[in-house]
Amino acid sequence: MNKILRTLIPFDIAKGLSITGKHFAKVFFTANRRKVPFHITSEYPEVPAKVQPRYRGRLTLLKDEQGEIKCVCCLACEKICPTQVITIEKGKKEGRKMPFPVRYDFEMERCIFCEFCVESCGFDSIILNHQFELAAYNREDFSIGMEGLGQNMYEPTPVGKFSVADD
Amino acid sequence: MFKNEEMEINLGPQHPSTHGVLRVKLRLDGETITHCRPMIGYLHRGVEKICENQTFFQGQVWTDRMDYCSAVANNLGWAEANEKLFGITVPRRAQYIRTMLNEFNRLASHLIWLATHALDIGAMTVFLYAFREREDILDMNEAFCGSRLTTTAFRIGGLREDLPPGFEKLVKKFLAKFPSCLEEYENLLNENRIWKKRTIGVAKLSAEDAIALGITGPVLRAAGVPYDIRKAFPYAAYAEMNFDVPTRTEADTYARYLVRMDEMRQSARIIQQCMDGMPEGPVMAKLPKILKAEVNEVYHATEAPKGEIGYYLVGEKGSGNPYRFHVRAPGFINLQALPKMAEGGLIADIVAAIGTLDIVLGEIDR
Repeated sequence: MNKILRTLIPFDIAKGLSITGKHFAKVFFTANRRKVPFHITSEYPEVPAKVQPRYRGRLTLLKDEQGEIKCVCCLACEKICPTQVITIEKGKKEGRKMPFPVRYDFEMERCIFCEFCVESCGFDSIILNHQFELAAYNREDFSIGMEGLGQNMYEPTPVGKFSVADD
Repeated sequence: MFKNEEMEINLGPQHPSTHGVLRVKLRLDGETITHCRPMIGYLHRGVEKICENQTFFQGQVWTDRMDYCSAVANNLGWAEANEKLFGITVPRRAQYIRTMLNEFNRLASHLIWLATHALDIGAMTVFLYAFREREDILDMNEAFCGSRLTTTAFRIGGLREDLPPGFEKLVKKFLAKFPSCLEEYENLLNENRIWKKRTIGVAKLSAEDAIALGITGPVLRAAGVPYDIRKAFPYAAYAEMNFDVPTRTEADTYARYLVRMDEMRQSARIIQQCMDGMPEGPVMAKLPKILKAEVNEVYHATEAPKGEIGYYLVGEKGSGNPYRFHVRAPGFINLQALPKMAEGGLIADIVAAIGTLDIVLGEIDR
């Protein structure tokens, strides 16, 4: 008897629909209010996405207070990189005791963002910044270097101006 | 009168229900499968060989990219295998944090399994709800190590950094809402007549067959064998944790679903215990600058969400690279049960069989 009732009356489907309906009602009646915890989607291109402080983005060379490049060409990052994306050429600069990187090439298309380079650096001269919009149209845009060689490595990557709001 | 001819068709490699690039060669008699052979290798990258050409430290980034749904569990196995090889003792706080993150990873992996498995069978609602909870776990991954999917979470000898400030709050918030979320999934699926018709008695694999094929993980436990490496050979901080190993005896798709749901409850319990008993202290052991192995070989197995993941490492004297590196991937070995499960069944049920094995092709092909 019980089994026949269960077959005839779709309790199970009603149970499922009630869950969906509850969630729908929650979101529908609080649609235009801010800071409502039921909303789990974000309107990404219009509202900028936030990343956590430890986020691993694009590799960046740092300068000290005098505007000097902190890197001293110890080649630790070049050695530890699992995909060999960093190439450093050692050189000298007048008025500087430490070696100076003439070239610091970074091939972003092969980078896997593991942060081993930053970990190996004993001089705190590189970081992975919080940039996450790293897509580009050309392959050349992914080879990043110092001034005059492709993209500038001290500036954040230029962000494309295409979003839904622009149309 | 009618010709009784068998038809051969290919399922995949670009079929959405094969979870990646799995190709299954099927021979059909009407709608019944008479012959089923999985063809793998479409995602082969040679991870093992790459690791042999790199140092022990660098090898970890490749383990992320094997089973990308449970990268933290792979990292843990790699780090512990290396610690075994070099004889390093990891600080207790690091062990606890590792255990906690590993359990979070198990939740994330099981949630993605639930979402895609239900989607394959036809229950679409649970997909969105499961991904909502998984998002929180990925946010926690990002807060801890800076990346969401390919985590590179641990280091040989401990952790790179301690927990970030405010991490406890995230964990507490998640644990407070997670049981009600699990109840929601169970309300949607447990009594649902379509779900029950599609899963009960489908893709059976008896305990004898499972042991003969070397199956591990929830698929084995759903056949009634209470084998869990966390209990059998405790690693990290699992020896100090209090948890149960859920088992069922039906050995069908529905039983595997129930086992995985119970496992999620136990994972939440372990995370709570880790948070309560988190010891203070350093998170990194003292290591030499360059790890050089002696002639030595090591096999270390851990319980990944999919089953036993084992790392086999051979060291070479004076060399910084492993001489030989091999991964016992749970997905690869669990996939060998697919012919046993699918043959004799209907073609519609092979989708359930692939889903219930919880395979990730990145790990199978490596």
